[in-house]
Amino acid sequence: MKPNLLLWAVAALATFLPRCGSRALAESRVPPPPPPPPPVLVRLGEEYLIRLDQPGPASNPGPAVNRALQLRLTQRLLARERRSDEPPISLDLTFHLLREVLEMARAEQLAQQASSNRKMMDIFGK
Amino acid sequence: MRSDAARLRIKGGELAARPYSRLLGSGAMSGTFRAHVGFLFLCLTSLRGQGRYLDVQENEITPEGLLSLLNSELKRELPDDVVYRRPLRCLDMISVEGQFTFSADRPQLNCAAFFIGEPTDVISVEYNAVDIDCRGGDFVKVFDGWVMKGEKFPSSQDHQLPLFERYVDYCDSGSVRRTIHASQNVAMIFFRLHQPGSGFTITVRKLRNPFPCNIISQTPEGSFTMVIPQQHKNCSFSIIYPVEIQIGELSLGHINDFKRSLPGCAGSGDFVELLGGNGVDTSKMYPVADLCYSFNGPAQMKIGCDNTVVRMVSSGKFINRVTFQYRLLNRQELQKLKGNSVEDFCFIE
Repeated sequence: MKPNLLLWAVAALATFLPRCGSRALAESRVPPPPPPPPPVLVRLGEEYLIRLDQPGPASNPGPAVNRALQLRLTQRLLARERRSDEPPISLDLTFHLLREVLEMARAEQLAQQASSNRKMMDIFGK
Repeated sequence: MRSDAARLRIKGGELAARPYSRLLGSGAMSGTFRAHVGFLFLCLTSLRGQGRYLDVQENEITPEGLLSLLNSELKRELPDDVVYRRPLRCLDMISVEGQFTFSADRPQLNCAAFFIGEPTDVISVEYNAVDIDCRGGDFVKVFDGWVMKGEKFPSSQDHQLPLFERYVDYCDSGSVRRTIHASQNVAMIFFRLHQPGSGFTITVRKLRNPFPCNIISQTPEGSFTMVIPQQHKNCSFSIIYPVEIQIGELSLGHINDFKRSLPGCAGSGDFVELLGGNGVDTSKMYPVADLCYSFNGPAQMKIGCDNTVVRMVSSGKFINRVTFQYRLLNRQELQKLKGNSVEDFCFIE
């Protein structure tokens, strides 16, 4: 009787042990409360936001961290600006319109040249 | 230093350049002595190229007039009544020297003016009076080149400065840097003014460039000779029209026996390429032809693109020179090109 009981006990333990064990292992694998995720630099279009979304007591990163974040943000913006080959300011103009204003400028230049020539002739022509 | 005798400034009358014999025979001893000294100064200033600063009043040579020849700094600027002036528009193109004033009668948030000169000119922009609210979001920025639809000329490959240095913001550096010199014959100014009544004045000048490198043509027709004198750089001549290009002479300093291990002219450090495209950035245009052998005699090509560029790549070992002419394609020629071409981008023959 006792060996049978022992056998049944062992079988029951063997059946349940892995799960208990894995749970235990998993529980033992679970680290201590996760550290709050660091603040994230999020890029939305052309704007950068600093997201601080960790709940709990450690929600205030402290002034040193803030300063470090701001410095990193500035450096990233400058580095991005320097690396980027896209002109930050541009004019959307068709070639047709560009040629129109160019021809107007050319006409102005010719008129100004004609006026200057007339003045010179007035001075030296007498 | 041009000696421009034709640009004598004269107040109240006739030319003062009398023949020497008449000067000798006139007036008392002191008058003759003055005339001799005056003639001596005239010769010296003419040889120095400063005859244009001669200031004569009523045909009299006064001590002040003589001394003024020695102090040409006084007359370095043109008199106020000779400077060309006009208002600047929100969208504008300027090809003359002068003073231009923009005054906002209402918020003007997206304005730009293009500057262009002759191929041998370099544009210079000077801030004379700026009344804007930088903290309120106003800005005035001069760009070294042209920017259109996100593309820039000259391209980043062909310009010495990185992109962010090509924008000079008045709000950042205007108090220190009041005069900005472009690197080529084109420049631009972008400005945004929120408050009615704010504005600025700029003076545009054109300085001489003996070896022009990056050029935009003011006209759809013309001719040009580009020389790169033993400098390692790439230079582009851009024509913002569909044109027929005729290359009259190409002189590349290297002997015509470089190894052609790669297709086209890639094996040569000195060559000329013809580009076509629909933007102003030469690095985004399509190569139409490569020329890496010196030759005489016209070679022509019709390029039906919005922008046609002759670009010279130079290793710096040789003096390279290319001479070409260009003329506008008429509508018939454009239609024919479009009909014949299977390509999608521009129409080339």
